[in-house]
Amino acid sequence: MDCSDAQLHLLDYQRGRLAADLRGEIRAHLEGCPACRDEELAERELTTLLDRRPRYPASADLKRRLAAEWASAPAAPPRASWRRWATSLAPALATAAVFLIATSLYYGQQRAADEVAGLVGEAVNDHLRVLSGRRPLEVESGAIHQVKPWFQGRLDFAPVVPFAGDEAFPLQGGAIEYFLDRQAAVFVYKRRLHTASLFVFRAEGLPWPDRGLEPLGSVPAYRTTARGFHVVLWRAGELGYALVSDVEASELRELASRIAAG
Amino acid sequence: MAQVETIPVRAARYSEGVLPAESSGPQAALGREALVHADSLHSLARYLTGNAADAEDLVQETYARALRGADQFAPGTNLRAWLFRILRNTFVSAYRRRRNSPIVGGLDTVTPSIHASSEDAWLRGDAELDQLRGLVAGEIEAALMALGEEARMVILLDLEGLTEVEVAHVVGCAVGTVKSRLSRARAALRQRLRDYAT
Repeated sequence: MDCSDAQLHLLDYQRGRLAADLRGEIRAHLEGCPACRDEELAERELTTLLDRRPRYPASADLKRRLAAEWASAPAAPPRASWRRWATSLAPALATAAVFLIATSLYYGQQRAADEVAGLVGEAVNDHLRVLSGRRPLEVESGAIHQVKPWFQGRLDFAPVVPFAGDEAFPLQGGAIEYFLDRQAAVFVYKRRLHTASLFVFRAEGLPWPDRGLEPLGSVPAYRTTARGFHVVLWRAGELGYALVSDVEASELRELASRIAAG
Repeated sequence: MAQVETIPVRAARYSEGVLPAESSGPQAALGREALVHADSLHSLARYLTGNAADAEDLVQETYARALRGADQFAPGTNLRAWLFRILRNTFVSAYRRRRNSPIVGGLDTVTPSIHASSEDAWLRGDAELDQLRGLVAGEIEAALMALGEEARMVILLDLEGLTEVEVAHVVGCAVGTVKSRLSRARAALRQRLRDYAT
């Protein structure tokens, strides 16, 4: 690998987006090339500087107007595939009454499914940010007694995570992330070469699955798969938990059991 | 900087106090999730338009278009990138006539070298590093605003955490083009920030 190759991938390298072999090649190049090491430091400093740019969040008034616009808009028509299905299934029964009944049933089921899909989608997105390094660990430590105190003063709640990690699932560290509209404590565990992210957040006001639950210790849990990742959701007291990883489903269930059981 | 035109979409009057949390259905669920990204969208809009009023209008029009096209969004895909793409397209269509008018040259006027010469080295020891770290937020913003629009867009989308593939989808170009724009824009920023620091 020469300097131009190394510098072509510097940003991806810093953000943890490279495959292990390419990451290793770049690390080896940096160790032997002072000029590229300087370049890597300069790029890192630039990113740090740019992260200090002024932010311009939307005003509360604008958010109110946007919310009102979505709330008052007429419902979107069903997706084309649904229309085709309904039409071919029962052309003889395609009266307005039947259609309305079918549509209302569809939306009733879809509403709950969509809300749960929103939770799951957020958990996977947050996990991807952890994997990509866009949300790097802010406290790197395998010791829970070092990780948990780090959250004090940074969150408006106390995350309850009794599982300190062990040889099978060592704890890597923690960070703070946004889960939908609220803060979440992030605990990152490893399983061989895989990463598992646990998000702990206030569950109040969030939609929560009420079907397809299975016991996880003393609490009911919801397990699903999205975009190739296994996800486990459960609640304990006022806190919600979302555990995401690409490890085997049985292994993730084992980790969830240890966390939930404490 | 070129005079910023007013986006021809003004805020309509909306009844207040009607929040999506009170409504139901897939569209309302999508709306609630979309509103989570309002801050990121507004910040990008502010950096693109350069002023608060146009930024608000741009965000409002972005959400209006998203609402009209809500049935085109595939659940499970990246909602944030989808919204950024709508915002970018809205911006481009509203500002088409004044595009490509950066303050300081275009992207192609900045050619990063593989290794900066010793005279141009961005970091010349701890003293310069300290100076750079002392830059105030306003100077960082000024450096960003001095970039061309497309360069500013890729820099900000990258800082928002989008991957190069996602940025390519948002701005409608090849991933290689994004990588190239990002590299040149970061080189331009380094030059300008060094000027501010010394």
